[in-house]
Amino acid sequence: MSLIQQKFRQHKAYRKPYLTFIVLLIGLIAFSIMAVGVGPVSISSSEVIRILANKLGFISFEDGELAQYQAIVLSIRLPRVIIAILIGATLAVTGAALQGLFRNPLADPTLIGVSSGSALAAACVIVFGVNLGVLLPLAAFIGGLGATYLVYLISSKAGKTSVTTMLLAGIAINALAAAGIGYLIFNADDNQIRDLTFWTLGSISGATWEVVYKSAPFLIISCIGLPFFSKQMNVMLLGENEAKYLGIDTERVKKVIIFLSALGIGAAVAVSGIIGFVGLVVPHLLRLIIGPDHRFLIPNSILLGALLLLASDLFARMAVIPAELPIGIVTSTIGAPFFLWLLIRNKSLSNFL
Amino acid sequence: MIEVENISVSLSSGRKILDEVSFNLKLGKLTAIIGKNGAGKSSILKCICGDVAYQKGMVRFEGEEINEIDLKHLATKRAVVSQKSSLEFSFTAREVVNLGRSLSSSFITSAKDEAIILKCLEMVDGLSLIDQSYTTLSGGEKQRVHFARALAQIWDRIENDKPAYLLLDEPLASLDVAHQHEMMHILQQLCKKNIAVMIVIHDLNLAAQYADYVHILKEGKTVIHGTPLEVFKEDIITHAFDYPVSVIPHPKIQCPLIISTSYMRA
Repeated sequence: MSLIQQKFRQHKAYRKPYLTFIVLLIGLIAFSIMAVGVGPVSISSSEVIRILANKLGFISFEDGELAQYQAIVLSIRLPRVIIAILIGATLAVTGAALQGLFRNPLADPTLIGVSSGSALAAACVIVFGVNLGVLLPLAAFIGGLGATYLVYLISSKAGKTSVTTMLLAGIAINALAAAGIGYLIFNADDNQIRDLTFWTLGSISGATWEVVYKSAPFLIISCIGLPFFSKQMNVMLLGENEAKYLGIDTERVKKVIIFLSALGIGAAVAVSGIIGFVGLVVPHLLRLIIGPDHRFLIPNSILLGALLLLASDLFARMAVIPAELPIGIVTSTIGAPFFLWLLIRNKSLSNFL
Repeated sequence: MIEVENISVSLSSGRKILDEVSFNLKLGKLTAIIGKNGAGKSSILKCICGDVAYQKGMVRFEGEEINEIDLKHLATKRAVVSQKSSLEFSFTAREVVNLGRSLSSSFITSAKDEAIILKCLEMVDGLSLIDQSYTTLSGGEKQRVHFARALAQIWDRIENDKPAYLLLDEPLASLDVAHQHEMMHILQQLCKKNIAVMIVIHDLNLAAQYADYVHILKEGKTVIHGTPLEVFKEDIITHAFDYPVSVIPHPKIQCPLIISTSYMRA
């Protein structure tokens, strides 16, 4: 067999990304069903499946006890699990997309100022606002989009965007937002400070069907839209000029990626506050397993992000019963040491990029 | 054919980078661009790629102004190997070459594309690198992989003897002598398949041995454009590089041999 045939065969046998996707998908489904069952009232997985099947009309039962569980599953735990899945998926997929866009594996939604823009707008509402219910998520969403747009405006010149300037502008916006939030905290009363702190720590304890209906469209658009640009993201990694030589309309691709990312992150931050490290850790971990090709990285990030946030939420719910930890504390506690471990293990960044 | 007509480029500071440069890149011909550092070699390449806005003149690609042509259409016919291609992520060599197939291939790499990737890597003697991470390759190996990527980009045209263009900016700088000659030989073979090749190159003897035409730039101006035999003359090269050289006939093959005659050991 010639060398060329040999290499061809080896490639055919290379199924790791697909295998990872299937394992993660099965894991996510199984874990979701389990997560719905876990709580102060414990419900077995088979009961959860029967309740869901009943709701979807596949089977029907007249069991009084299950009917009681049905309310817990359908109105309390299911929306929360769905929110955890959607936000985890969105944070991970936008992280992967922005890292590709910036050709910088350390890029994170917080880096270009989306998260802090959202947080600043939300903090304004908490301190000055009256009707928190509707205004808070809306402000966070607009703040996120506004911050991204501002960074983009600063860093783009004559139709071209410098990635370096964009990153630096993101740092400046972050600093400005931090100062703004600091000022608001300085002026806030005790109750507001508690609200602000809780929100900036990140939490999905407020998840209801209403929250799902309001945020899911944005989160889903982001998660479905970004994978369509994975090939372009791959080429963009070569640099903008090279991408143009390869026929990519770089300006358009950049705009779409920024918009979809801001949309997803804004909506996520609106629901849950700042949940850090998911967008950083998930793509990193996956690159170690399946490599940096976005065609595989992006779909797998969606699944692993969802799984990670679901697990973190489960831990946040169960760790200090009857109280709850803010989920942002959990993800940072997992994420930061993981990231440090990566750095230490590889000594220099370039070894695992 | 790519026609470069009276191209002039100035920086906002007023410094002239290119001054009335004209030449044609003909199909089936290998054109070498040589000159001192800062003579405008890379700038002219960038003009031809449509990256640098020129104040005067025009670059025509098959008769059309280069900046008017759709990027995708251009990418099917023209591949570019830049001086520095950075890639921070640990793609394998196979994946890097596959980036060259981005336009033509379906979302998931097809068996046909996979075969093309292998052929292109084989051409640049890179089959053994195929599953290695790009970030761990040496400078010369990276250059070869990028060269294979450019070949993969225009492979459909190479295979069918259709016109295509290959523009390379110092692609041999990090290669060893054997690979340098191998690459130049590949470029020569490509020319026979109706490809126009333009190469920015520092090694005068490689240019003398393989190029059909040589274009010498000095301070943004054309010194001379002609065949190696017309161009590689002692006075011309000495003037172009401000450095004394001797040009002697190559002892084994029919081409000029350029040797340095300055700072010689006594």
